[in-house]
Amino acid sequence: MFYDTRPKVSVHVVQTGETYTCATDESLLNGMLRLGRKGIPVGCVNGGCGVCKIRVVEGAVHSLGPISRAHVTSEEESQGYTLACRVAPTIAVRLEVAGRLEKPFSKGFATPANHVRTK
Amino acid sequence: MGVMRIGHASLKVMDMAAAVKHYENVLGMKTTMKDKAGNVYLKCWDEWDKFSIILTPSDRAGLNHVAYKVQHEADLDVLQKRIEAYGIKTTMMPEGTLPSTGRMLQFNLPSGHDMRLYATKELVGTEVGSTNPDPWPDGLKGAGAHWLDHVLLMCELNPETGVNHVADNCNFLKECLEFYLVEQVMVGPDGNIQAAAFMTRTNTPHDIAFVGGPSSGFHHASFFLDSWHDILKAGDIMAKNKVRIDIAPTRHGITRGETIYFFDPSGNRNETFAGLGYLAQPDRPVTTWTEDKLGTGIFYHTGVLTPSFIDVYT
Repeated sequence: MFYDTRPKVSVHVVQTGETYTCATDESLLNGMLRLGRKGIPVGCVNGGCGVCKIRVVEGAVHSLGPISRAHVTSEEESQGYTLACRVAPTIAVRLEVAGRLEKPFSKGFATPANHVRTK
Repeated sequence: MGVMRIGHASLKVMDMAAAVKHYENVLGMKTTMKDKAGNVYLKCWDEWDKFSIILTPSDRAGLNHVAYKVQHEADLDVLQKRIEAYGIKTTMMPEGTLPSTGRMLQFNLPSGHDMRLYATKELVGTEVGSTNPDPWPDGLKGAGAHWLDHVLLMCELNPETGVNHVADNCNFLKECLEFYLVEQVMVGPDGNIQAAAFMTRTNTPHDIAFVGGPSSGFHHASFFLDSWHDILKAGDIMAKNKVRIDIAPTRHGITRGETIYFFDPSGNRNETFAGLGYLAQPDRPVTTWTEDKLGTGIFYHTGVLTPSFIDVYT
């Protein structure tokens, strides 16, 4: 790794208990890729295709750009859903992966019994 | 003579300023018009009609409609009868529905995509003009794309339920609009499921393409460049502008096109594409790619399908 002086926070993935470090000026998706999990979908990275849906359960994020209403409704957004490519962590974050992101995070880990599958 | 070529694509964008900057600075298009609703119209330097891309403000990405130009106004009436007789409902939208554009024959493809045909659009000329023209104009920005070349539409394909909108669209375009099939991908145990179709009305390998997927959508709009070197330079321009590149420069087996794929700031996929591949003709035998060689058909060098290329669309 090259030396990286950017402020960083820790991001916790609820489903697997994994934690990664994410700079406060990079997207949650970008940091997540360093987990090295196979199959993390990287799509348009511009908020349009919806493959990197997550729910921020705890912490705070700031927007890096608009997200498509075809993939995150206003109601979902009020519940913390967003697209990982379009938000950066402001402080430490706990997130749940959703939609197409669930599969790469399901291997080798039990799915919580109360887990509701989203689009 | 019916359909001549692709006329324009209307795209939804979530940040108009960012979108205009992208289509101007990365692709090298110029804004030719804006309307009261906030839509922005752009053209490439080598196009002679007023616009080939319409950007419309939206809360999502994707395609509003794609339009093809026919040669004569009377073609619209002939085609309307033919399309209605095929069993597809049409609407003749009056002149001025889009600015600088004549009446448009609107209908939905079997896949649900909104398609329009028109014969008239304001002629503004290419940037080098028609009298003793230079081969290219000064002051081109970005990739300096020549023209909007084709679109690829994702169509629902589910062999279990028997839905194949790739084949349905292909039949419709053959029967009603006299497109001809140039290349196709055939899959399934018996190789009899048409999973992709590349069709044309010009003599280039495709003016429109259909690829099967779980749902209907917009895969990409492609812009023409002269050469492989222009593709490389386009890649440099994307890096300078921090554009998300989906597929680094490579060649397609299908169409032989040299390509680079990237996303506009709303996540609509674009392609810059070079190499006319070959002369497409109605009597040229259809090229067929089999399921085991699909990777080679899509990305000739590696023969490996990049998941995002197939799974991600708006």
